[in-house]
Amino acid sequence: VRLEDDLTCAELVELVTDYHEGALEARDRQRFEEHVVFCDGCASYLDGMRRTIEVTGRLTVDDVLPELERELVAAFRGWRSS
Amino acid sequence: MTAYKFLRRGRVGAFSGFAWPVGEWVEAEPHVCASGIHACRPADLPYWLDAELWEIELDGAVAAERKLVAPRGRLVRRVEAWDGGTARAFADSCAEATAALGDAPEHAADAAADAAAGRAATAAFVAARAAELVRGRRGYEDERARQASWLADRLGLAV
Repeated sequence: VRLEDDLTCAELVELVTDYHEGALEARDRQRFEEHVVFCDGCASYLDGMRRTIEVTGRLTVDDVLPELERELVAAFRGWRSS
Repeated sequence: MTAYKFLRRGRVGAFSGFAWPVGEWVEAEPHVCASGIHACRPADLPYWLDAELWEIELDGAVAAERKLVAPRGRLVRRVEAWDGGTARAFADSCAEATAALGDAPEHAADAAADAAAGRAATAAFVAARAAELVRGRRGYEDERARQASWLADRLGLAV
């Protein structure tokens, strides 16, 4: 039995980008935040995402080392072709 | 109106990250779950447990699902009775309520483990879900109401 308005952890992970972008409907945002209150794992995940956005949001193209840029491009090419 | 607000340690909003001043009016465009000043009636408290509980004065508050939202609010005083000991006692009450259901032994074990680990919000959620499993949706609502009543009584909150 599951409440219709309960979110699972997997669903929360799927919604985290929409949450950060303010794209969730009010009801979904409420369910999201209620879940985070009682789920330590998702709370940590959300904090981690928030910190990542804070840090990477300050990066510019010039901050990325050429070697790292090549690795990233190669990784994404492999991801797209797999 | 007087309401209540859970915050992280240091008066920090759990979702906004905003560091609340004490006694100063804070203003924000009120949109439920998105912006504005969010706070609790006593019945809302079990859904939003956190490290610190504050009494907050709201101006122009409207009721929303499991919360209030207002364009203005200011922290008035910390509810000192909400501390680690009270949180543990609350979690224990949730574990006991779950055990008393009789038909949800796994949930009872989970709630007891959460209470022992100091995870009050998790114990409260497990208790409500277990009540729902045994008694249906009404059981969930009744257990949340029991939790709210426990908190209001133990913390001496105006209902």
